Amino acid sequence: MPSGRDIQVALIGQPNVGKSSLFTRLTGVGVISSNYPGTTVEFEEATVLRGGGRLHVHDLPGTYSLSTNSADEDVVIDMLLDSENDAVVLVADAMNLESGLALCIEVMELGIPVVVALNRIDVAVRHRQMDIDGLSRELGVPVIPVSAKTGQGIEELLDCLVEGGPRVSGYRPDYDDHIIEYAGMVEGMLRDTRVDPSGLSIKLLEGAGRFAELITPEERERVEALREEFLRIHGDSIDIHIAKDRFAAASGIVDRCVTKTARKRTRAEVISDYTITPSTGIPILALVILGILAVIIYGGSWISGLVEEAYGLIVGDILLDFGESLGGDFWPAVMSGLNESFIGILTLVIPYIMVFYIILGILEDTGYLPRVVVLLDSLMHRFGLHGGGFIPLIVGLGCNVPAVLATRSLSSRRERLIACCMIVLAVPCSAQIAIIFGATGAEAGIQYALLIMGVLLVIGMAAGLLLNRKLPSEPSSLAMEIPDLTVPQAKNVLFKMWSRTKDFFSIAVPLLIVGGVVIELLIAYNLLDPIVQPLSFITEGLLGLPAVAIVALLMGIIRKEMAYAILLVLLGGATLTPDQFVVFGAVMAIYMPCLATLAVMGREIGWKDTAVVALSSIVVAILVGTAFNYGLRLF
Amino acid sequence: MTTGNREDYLINILRLTDSKGGVVRTSELAAFMDVAPASVTEMVRALSEAGLVDYQKYKGVSLTDAGREYAMNIRRKHHIVERFLTDVLDVDHDEAHEEACRIEHSMSDNTANKFCRIIGTRQDHDCATCGDPCNRDEDCPTLETVEPGTKARISHLRGDSASNVKKLLSMGFVPGREVSVVSRIGNGPCVLSLGESTIAIDSELASAVYLDCDAGTAQ
Ligand SMILES: Nc1nc2c(ncn2[C@@H]2O[C@H](COP(=O)(O)OP(=O)(O)OP(=O)(O)O)[C@@H](O)[C@H]2O)c(=O)[nH]1
Repeated sequence: MPSGRDIQVALIGQPNVGKSSLFTRLTGVGVISSNYPGTTVEFEEATVLRGGGRLHVHDLPGTYSLSTNSADEDVVIDMLLDSENDAVVLVADAMNLESGLALCIEVMELGIPVVVALNRIDVAVRHRQMDIDGLSRELGVPVIPVSAKTGQGIEELLDCLVEGGPRVSGYRPDYDDHIIEYAGMVEGMLRDTRVDPSGLSIKLLEGAGRFAELITPEERERVEALREEFLRIHGDSIDIHIAKDRFAAASGIVDRCVTKTARKRTRAEVISDYTITPSTGIPILALVILGILAVIIYGGSWISGLVEEAYGLIVGDILLDFGESLGGDFWPAVMSGLNESFIGILTLVIPYIMVFYIILGILEDTGYLPRVVVLLDSLMHRFGLHGGGFIPLIVGLGCNVPAVLATRSLSSRRERLIACCMIVLAVPCSAQIAIIFGATGAEAGIQYALLIMGVLLVIGMAAGLLLNRKLPSEPSSLAMEIPDLTVPQAKNVLFKMWSRTKDFFSIAVPLLIVGGVVIELLIAYNLLDPIVQPLSFITEGLLGLPAVAIVALLMGIIRKEMAYAILLVLLGGATLTPDQFVVFGAVMAIYMPCLATLAVMGREIGWKDTAVVALSSIVVAILVGTAFNYGLRLF
Repeated sequence: MTTGNREDYLINILRLTDSKGGVVRTSELAAFMDVAPASVTEMVRALSEAGLVDYQKYKGVSLTDAGREYAMNIRRKHHIVERFLTDVLDVDHDEAHEEACRIEHSMSDNTANKFCRIIGTRQDHDCATCGDPCNRDEDCPTLETVEPGTKARISHLRGDSASNVKKLLSMGFVPGREVSVVSRIGNGPCVLSLGESTIAIDSELASAVYLDCDAGTAQ
């Protein structure tokens, strides 16, 4: 291999085979991996220097095949067709080789150089004997057993890639004569194509939309006519026959190369059955939810106390003393404001946000979430979503940005719109949860925190029901692979927690300092009142909050956890009444998504709908806040 | 007179009456089957006594409803065997026809159905006129109708939505593979084990996956 060369490779595989974990292993760049299909929706790229060359590795969303015309698949196909791309690392699950090989065959048919990474070999060696050489011989491409978990085989895979190991395979499934005949007719009419013409013919016959864009409209029409003719004569569409032969080929290879050693049902499988049978699964789900709430409430407040103590020990009065030493009125005010808000925000982030992300990480990695998806499928159908819509909602409890991205796993725009709307209105992100439990819960009583959560649940369901009724109906159906239950690895859980919260320290803290100084400046020059007064009919009138709260709410649009910290600066030592905390917590949880969420949502579902959703969230927030304000006064 | 002989008459009457509006003269039948007119008359009388044909002396022979059903069943078996021999065993068509003429009489309905499934769902012209085509959708259970615990081969996929069929195919629901139903959540999704994957699909998708006809149906 000439040194100094750039090599582009793409990781392709079915959902949840471990592409993201493998990507992290290959490149050392950490990306989020979880134990459910559909974790990766955006593709990542990283570069590895090796043997004098540069290896660019792309992690792509998982796909089962290349012919269902879904958005995820289009991303993968575009990458495959990209002439810059040198090779494909086909990531297959050694524990589920048959479907992995079916995809592998599909890629090989296109005449693209492939190397197969046989992942999860650490588990497979315990349960089966695999003839790796035989596999490689049959497929005509190198096959390298790897484990993204233990790191086995990673070096070999990297070596293979930089040394130009991936091969174009001549392997083709043994298609039925009728299919060959039709493929021949299609191939005959294709003029020069960038992809292997026989592979392309098969893809065209399968009705794969992305590939049809490679040919002229007239050619497309003729292919369509051939597809129809096949359907008429054979009574079944040709896609079914092609898929059937491809799977038969894959299963033949597996039969010849893999010997399964008999095994007992594992404990994980027994537990799995309990989680998925309604009579036991629903109680288990209820227990899990209660457990999570208990950890957040009791664990959160306990750690919160510890953090406050630690802050007192480590930072103590440094900020205050520093302010005094600068003299005057202004700096001491700035410093005491910051001191308060640092305490406020640290006691939210560390105990509530970080703890929540640990819980979420554990939930994601056990493989429990897909089981909940199955249990809740019928319920979610009432909101116009299928059970799969539950995953973005859960992800939204961490942060709404990845949640909006995760809605890509829902197929229709309608579903994505409904899911986004529910996420923005009713799913509190970890920062909002922290405010609900850490501020409202701590100051006004935990029952109010739970009340707010209940109200959010009602709002979310109402939004779902309403949209489901309003939007023109479109069928949506659940099809989700259920991964085995596994024990999460602490390392991965902590890594995910850190990569999801590190922003807070690098962005929120500087923002807080700047914001604190600006606010003190405004107060010092008497500019705050003119700013907050025009909207005081909402803050003071409807919500019963101090007029300055509007500034906190506006800051909350930048980052949610900022709202509370800034509020503490604004109040300058004073505090809210318990009732005000309840209203503040409720309004915070509902109104206006943060800027980052707005940005992805605009991109994902369009700006118009995003604006409508955002505005309605403000209206709902004010209505709910007002109701709490007057309701609490009654009691 | 053997059953085989009677059945030959019935199937040939069916062949001739199908294209000729219901009635065939005994002389025509004799010529078509290459037998003596006297034997035809004798057999037709016997069949008429058995209630399988109507025989009017100067008009000719026609099948009764019972006779028609009987004949169609034989013709179906004939066709199945013929197709099995040509499609699966690659036997020459004429030879297959001869063989089928002999086997059709001795094959049970059950075996015929099993042969039929091996041939698959491909329908040809004969299937279109067949009174009881193999793999008729309503005869086969789907993943939606079978009891949890059922294990069966996928016979074919059929659904209103082409994209659903594609989705199923891509997840490995292809004819010929074995699938078992692990559990079903109310009227909602069912959890299946397919190859080495566990997959949940909801009832709409499940109803598009047809199983081999002998898979148990829900009571
Ligand atoms: N035992 C074992 N587990 C693995 C291995 N590779 C990945 N996993 C686990 O498999 C699960 C899925 O891994 P991901 O890397 O998220 O899979 P992915 O293919 O990127 O999934 P999507 O992004 O959803 O398409 C995670 O829980 C991993 O910890 C391996 O080699 N051995």
